[in-house]
Amino acid sequence: MIGLEHFLILSAILFSIGIYGVLVKRNAIAILMSIEIMLNAVNIAMVAFSRYLALLTGQVFAIFIITVAAAEAAVGLAIVVAIYRSRRTVDVGEVDLMKW
Amino acid sequence: MNLYLLSPEISLTAFAILVILLDLVIKRKGILVYVSILGLITSAVFAATLWGGEATTFGGMLVVDGFSIFFKFLFIGVAIMVVLASVDYVSRIKRFQGEYLALILLSAVGMMLMASTGELVSIYISLELTGISLYVLTGFLKDPKSSEAGLKYLLLGAVASAVLLYGMAMVFGLTGTTHLGDIATAVSSGALGSPALLMGIVLLVAGFGFKIACVPFQMWVPDVYEGAPTPITAYLSVASKAAGFAVILRVFYTAFGPVSLDWGMIFAVLGAITMTLGNIVAIPQTNIKRMLGYSSIAQAGYLMMGLAAVSSLGQSGLLFFLVSYAFTNLGAFIAIIAISNKVDSDMIADYRGMARHAPLLSLALALCLISLTGIPPTAGFMAKVYIFNAAMQYGLLWLVVIAVINTVISAYYYLRVVKVMFLEAPASQERVPSSGALRFALCIACIGVLVIGVIPSYFLRIAEVVVRALGS
Amino acid sequence: MFPEAAGWAIFLVPVLSFAIISLITRPFFNSRPRISAYITIASISSSLILSLWALVSVIQAPGHAILLEPHDWVTIGSTTIQVGIAIDSLTAVMLIVITVVSLMVQIYSQGYMHGDGGYHRYFAFMSLFTGSMLGLVLASNLVMLYVFWELVGLCSYLLIGFWFHRPEAARAAVKAFLVTRIGDFGFLAAIIFLYAKTGTFDIAELYVVAPALLSATALTWAAIGIFSGAVGKSAQFPLHTWLPDAMEGPTPVSALIHAATMVAAGVYLVARTFPLFAQSPQAMTTVAIIGGFTAIFAASMGLVMTDIKRVLAYSTISQLGYMMLGLGAGSVAFAIFHLANHAFFKSLLFLGAGSVNHATGTFDMREMGGLKKYMPWTYAAFLIASLSIAGIWPLAGFWSKDGILLHAWGSTPVLFYLAMITVFMTAFYMFRVVFLTFGGSYRGGSEARSAHALHESPKVMLIPMVILAILSITSGWLPISGFLGGESMGFFEVLSHPMPWVSLILAGLGILLAYAMYSAKWLSPEAVGRRFQALYRVLWNKYWFDELYERVFIFSVLVDGLFLVLQWFDTYIVDGLVNGVAGATIAAGGILRRLQTGQLQVYGLAIFIGVLAIAACLFIFAP
Repeated sequence: MIGLEHFLILSAILFSIGIYGVLVKRNAIAILMSIEIMLNAVNIAMVAFSRYLALLTGQVFAIFIITVAAAEAAVGLAIVVAIYRSRRTVDVGEVDLMKW
Repeated sequence: MNLYLLSPEISLTAFAILVILLDLVIKRKGILVYVSILGLITSAVFAATLWGGEATTFGGMLVVDGFSIFFKFLFIGVAIMVVLASVDYVSRIKRFQGEYLALILLSAVGMMLMASTGELVSIYISLELTGISLYVLTGFLKDPKSSEAGLKYLLLGAVASAVLLYGMAMVFGLTGTTHLGDIATAVSSGALGSPALLMGIVLLVAGFGFKIACVPFQMWVPDVYEGAPTPITAYLSVASKAAGFAVILRVFYTAFGPVSLDWGMIFAVLGAITMTLGNIVAIPQTNIKRMLGYSSIAQAGYLMMGLAAVSSLGQSGLLFFLVSYAFTNLGAFIAIIAISNKVDSDMIADYRGMARHAPLLSLALALCLISLTGIPPTAGFMAKVYIFNAAMQYGLLWLVVIAVINTVISAYYYLRVVKVMFLEAPASQERVPSSGALRFALCIACIGVLVIGVIPSYFLRIAEVVVRALGS
Repeated sequence: MFPEAAGWAIFLVPVLSFAIISLITRPFFNSRPRISAYITIASISSSLILSLWALVSVIQAPGHAILLEPHDWVTIGSTTIQVGIAIDSLTAVMLIVITVVSLMVQIYSQGYMHGDGGYHRYFAFMSLFTGSMLGLVLASNLVMLYVFWELVGLCSYLLIGFWFHRPEAARAAVKAFLVTRIGDFGFLAAIIFLYAKTGTFDIAELYVVAPALLSATALTWAAIGIFSGAVGKSAQFPLHTWLPDAMEGPTPVSALIHAATMVAAGVYLVARTFPLFAQSPQAMTTVAIIGGFTAIFAASMGLVMTDIKRVLAYSTISQLGYMMLGLGAGSVAFAIFHLANHAFFKSLLFLGAGSVNHATGTFDMREMGGLKKYMPWTYAAFLIASLSIAGIWPLAGFWSKDGILLHAWGSTPVLFYLAMITVFMTAFYMFRVVFLTFGGSYRGGSEARSAHALHESPKVMLIPMVILAILSITSGWLPISGFLGGESMGFFEVLSHPMPWVSLILAGLGILLAYAMYSAKWLSPEAVGRRFQALYRVLWNKYWFDELYERVFIFSVLVDGLFLVLQWFDTYIVDGLVNGVAGATIAAGGILRRLQTGQLQVYGLAIFIGVLAIAACLFIFAP
């Protein structure tokens, strides 16, 4: 029987994968995708809680997260394009004009 | 469902859309600034009509009380100043002037909602409404620095909100509700002291800590402040930070008031680290925007003393500090905008002898820096006295000692700029012209700094009245 | 009955005018500078009317004082700081003096500042100054008084440096600010000390409780602390060096701030806190000695200056020394009486000097001469003021100066003799100015302006001078000293005493000597100068005090010292050396900033490590 714990563990694993991706991927678009994974990990947890607590709130929350994430990704991609235009690279390791 | 309670936000959104539409049809773009300011004033008028009452609507999602209206006024005021300060910027960028102004208005809507929600979903949405508008504004100039700042702000902001959401999911799962009031009930009856709830709270602290620039979630601040258009930097450093504090006050006092865990202590320790790190790293800075970035981290540390002192004195001290800080920091940034328009540099070294060819501007900047240091007769002094007193009354003597030492350290880098401006020989004899709007905004900021510094009791009384909505 | 609101309005109206000019007229009516002048004049006129009302009310009030309840201002912890105003005879006299002189100066400024690019700024600062000065004399407690004390200092700084593009002006402004600050430290320390001992800032309350709660020594130190503030503000020895340099400001500013009102604030302060001084003989003696010495010391330097404004500046210092001497001799009434008379005739002298400058374009008396013919009105006004300051019966200066001399004779005869010599010197240097400027024939002006280009100043400048000239004659006849609780002398009765005759004869001799040297040329000034060459050099170089202070004190110890510490920080960053706590702070900054690598993934890492660290700490330390 698959219980709440299973979903939560899945969510935690996905979240960790997302963190890993954010921290090691050099490509800005890959980082955006990793953030997407983190958000979806949250969605899984939300929906799972929603199902097991028999409350609709979690699902509503998840829908909002998906919507907002889409907006965020759109803006993110636009900024990545702007970066690419000015430096011909999307490697975040090279985006360090400002430091110290 | 009383839509009138939402009238400040609705009217401001309408004006934001109007600005974009007008941008398409009119030729004289200067009008857009006035339309934006009209929109903000309209919104303020609506907010003023709501003053005095307490009401909730949309099933408790929207809370209109003294606390939220106080913050609405603060955000509207800051947005007006930022729009005024942007006049030169707006005329410099050829396209998308309407979008620039509309995004400022929309992020103000987001902040206003942040201060008046009593529910996690709407907190998240308003947080993102603010955040996404600000990401775009940060990268608006499209030069390498500006886009880099935009990218850093966006990616780290998104990570922070993912962390925040994970925390929200945990709190929701443990308490079975997203309403702050119900969370409090659930927390006091059941989930008290469970490790998962603790973890959830830590994740919330991280998510909100990103907004207020508290260590160790502050690392985006210097880079983003340096790269963003200067009016937006001012906006970020004042309004966005204030919104973060508004949410923290609301969430922690309403939802986690009964938690046995002393979250005040988390803020005390983080505050001490934040102010120390901000001040120490500000010292070797050579770019004034970056220096003010670190300074704003340090100021966040002082502000967190108000969270650490878990009492109505701490709350009102925090609100009072936010108002003083808003005037002071806006004034400093506006003066920097005016100066950099002319000298085209943000390096402190290029401010040499500024007092000789721009005496009033230099004087205004000096006044704001003195206020940031916390020297009378300025707002910064009074704010510090109140918030230190609140921490002292709560028994946080060690924190006050650290804060006082920090104040002394900070005097070094703030007053160094004053010294450079007033006692060094000027590089040129050129006069520094500034637009009327900029001068007007600067005047307002300086008058605010002085008035709060000289007659603080009126503002303090307002702060004391509005925090009653939170309870303690 | 005098309502409290009217009292507040006296000083708030000019402050409001400052706000209106800087917020509205300067940004939006920049091309119409006259508006700012009208606003200023209107606001100060209303202050004058309210001040007259206050004066009448005080005269009618029992005990010559209007008592008003203070208001709570801020409460920090257990300390409540109050604000309030009090109007007694001293305040009322000061109010009239300030508003009258200020009004005259503002009217005059319309002509003098005509066409200056900073017209709005000038009137904005003048309004702010007048408001602050009025607030200073109205304040009923030391905190409020101190705030206005610093505000007038700030305005003085801003107005000395009004022509900030001139390096000398900017330098003079900084110098004035720094030197007066030295005295203010003592004043501030005294305020804090008194509060710590008595728990009150209220001046009237201090009169009562301070003698009871403080030991004699403590009281002396508190009084000396207050007096040090007065020494700085009133340019008394040894903090006198800033005032002559302050003449770099516009001349009407010198007339209002550096002759009539702000520099007299030190005298007012001592008069206001006189009950504290009266308890301590040592403090009184200090005041008398400093005052008496400054009077003769400054007058001696005034003998040789060639810049007309500098002569007047030294004369101001000397006259302020007289007032201090009067206070030290125990007579508040005559000190303030002299303050009022001095305000009228000295501001008139400055306005006259400004009028001369308006025509000739210079302040150097060696380039003037013969102006009597071209500027008869200015000459007449200047002559009246000079006779008044020389103390010639029955002009204003005579009455107050003789009162002070009389009291000095009663308390410290040594200082009395010094003061008598000063009377002679004063008459000499003033008439030296008169003969050099107005007598003889014209010597060229600055850009060699030809004589036919000389003209009398416009009416807007002359009318205030005429009014002040009338006051310079008559203000001594008013029963001011009696009103302030001192004795007053009959108009002719005074001449039946021997003392006035001695001072009149000395003043006459001074005028005669000036006539002999600079008008009739019986004595050649050059020959006299050669004869007393050593003395001349000492005086010409102002006893080398500027050099002493600038090289050693202000610029070596204060400015350099202050910034040496800062520079020291800088050096340590540059050299990367770590030494001591301060160095460690800087080094820590240098190292910690390296954490800010610019790599956004490092920033992300910090977020996650931060979350884990906070959580770990909580699980370890939380119960």
